Amino acid sequence: MHGILEKTILEPFERLAQQIAQVVPVLVTVFFILLVGGALAYLVRRLTHGALVLLKFDRLVAGTGISGAIERTALFGSPSEFGARVAQGTVWVFIVLFALSAAGTQVTDALVARFVNYIPDFVTAVLVLLLGSAVSKFLSRSALLAAVNAQWAEARFIAGSVRVLLMSLTVVVALEQLRIGRTALLVSFAILFAGIVIAGAIAFGLGGRDLAREWLQSRIQRQPPAEKDPLQHL
Amino acid sequence: MTLLKEDLRSRLDQVGEVDIVVGIPSFNNERTIAHVVRAVAGGLAKYFPDRKSVIVNSDGGSTDGTREAVMGADVDHDSLLLVSHKVPTIQRISTPYHGIPGKGSAFRTIFAVTERLNAKACVVVDSDLRSITPHWVELLAAPVLDRGFDYIAPFYLRHKYDGTITNSIIYPMTRTLFGRRIRQPIGGDFGLSGKVASRFLTKDVWETDVARYGIDIWMTLTAMAEDFRVGQSYLGAKLHDAKDPGADLTAMFRQVVSSLFGLMETYEAVWQKVGSSEPVPMFGLPFDVGLEPIPVDVERMKRAYQQGLRDLDGIYRSFLSPSTMEGLVAAAREPGEGFRVPDALWVRLVYEFAAAYHGRLLDRDHLLQSLIPLYLGRTGSFVLDVQIADAVKVEEQIESLAREFEAQKPYLLECWSAPSKRR
Repeated sequence: MHGILEKTILEPFERLAQQIAQVVPVLVTVFFILLVGGALAYLVRRLTHGALVLLKFDRLVAGTGISGAIERTALFGSPSEFGARVAQGTVWVFIVLFALSAAGTQVTDALVARFVNYIPDFVTAVLVLLLGSAVSKFLSRSALLAAVNAQWAEARFIAGSVRVLLMSLTVVVALEQLRIGRTALLVSFAILFAGIVIAGAIAFGLGGRDLAREWLQSRIQRQPPAEKDPLQHL
Repeated sequence: MTLLKEDLRSRLDQVGEVDIVVGIPSFNNERTIAHVVRAVAGGLAKYFPDRKSVIVNSDGGSTDGTREAVMGADVDHDSLLLVSHKVPTIQRISTPYHGIPGKGSAFRTIFAVTERLNAKACVVVDSDLRSITPHWVELLAAPVLDRGFDYIAPFYLRHKYDGTITNSIIYPMTRTLFGRRIRQPIGGDFGLSGKVASRFLTKDVWETDVARYGIDIWMTLTAMAEDFRVGQSYLGAKLHDAKDPGADLTAMFRQVVSSLFGLMETYEAVWQKVGSSEPVPMFGLPFDVGLEPIPVDVERMKRAYQQGLRDLDGIYRSFLSPSTMEGLVAAAREPGEGFRVPDALWVRLVYEFAAAYHGRLLDRDHLLQSLIPLYLGRTGSFVLDVQIADAVKVEEQIESLAREFEAQKPYLLECWSAPSKRR
């Protein structure tokens, strides 16, 4: 009777106790890492914010468009705060990875390995987005100014189109870098782009047949130069 | 002196010292240059018969027979030097706001010749002039030779609608900044002392955009900023060949205004100390000449202004002060003939643009381009103001604007020291 009791009740308890004894230190370690990490992330946020304020980061990015985008989200008070939050988030990501790594299970190890391998692609994608955003803003503003100075009524539409096309291209390249829906994205973009071109051509050809004819004629036949303002500005 | 080639140096050594060097930069000016050379040679013979002089044509690689036209001119070939200056391809495509491509390189060569020949005076005239007379040489050289002046700017008689960049920005700004009232700081024809020519040669601007596109305004502002004796000579009307590259307003405007704003940075310490302005001596007798009437489309200018305010609103609000924006928007609402961009508003606007350029609040090229619609609006407003005014009244109007620029100089200093504070 005693043997049966020991086998059916005590032994499973002992095994459970042993397993708990193995897991508890790991959980305590993970909890400790998260606790210290959280404090560290908070510290990094405060330090980064202080440093960015000191470096007048808000003023530096004022003309780049980042400032406006941050304000529009209504989530962050200023570009410096946004930067500080990004730093805090980055620290948090590494702390979570560290904690998962400390757990030492097969699943967490695999997860950590996959994430670490993904970091270069992620960083590249972020850089592509940042660069693409800056370039598209610059080129769209160039187009806007040129169109306004040429007194084209559709100046804003032209500038907006330049911005949308370049940002679309940037997003496709970034997602391609992240290996997200590669084929589908490329095909979608190609269809979208070709669609815009064809739609534009049809609209120009049908909607403005006379204009198209005149334009083509002006390209083919030599026309006298357009009359300029006779004013000598200098 | 490596700037001048060996054969030219030998030629100059044969010439020896001279009193006057007259430089004529050229690039494809076959149609007009012979007339310019004849007028210059005539002027030297008539007004300076006892002075030793030399005419230097510095050509930027003309392909149309300019050199043959110079050689074909009926002048004493012993006093005629043909030299060439390099013009990078890019400069031939993107022409400067005034005169020929590579004008800076041409001037540098002419100044180097002036220094080598130890000349007392150097006169530079454009090669596309149709209205030059022998008297111009006297008017530009005599104040230097006989009166001890270092720099003589031209004063042309112009139609009241002409020279609007000069009238609304360049003249009032240069006067406010450096305290000398040179009415046409970017005329194109100048008289200089050998001392100034040598000083210009020591500057490190010859490989920069200043020399490529803004040499005229650079010379005038440098002469004023470095406290040389400056004056101006009345030359009458200026008529030049129809192929004036300055026809492209956007490029011309960017070049001339960026030269001005750039020089404000170079001479920041000088202009910040200047509190008032004074007239500079005028040589020559002002006389009236008939000027062709100029048709101006004010409605087009007003539309450009209104479109600029509508489409570039975000750009303007990123660096202009709220009060300036308010003023601009209010002006745009005025109907028909009531449309005006007042002097005080225009001055604030120009100062805020200069400060934004200095503080790099926006890409500089974009900043200057964004000023063009507002400039056109101001020009339209000026045309409406002076449409029935005579030349005297127009000049009074320009003087009044210049005084407004001077009165608001403290605001410029304030903006300049904290460009982003205005927003």
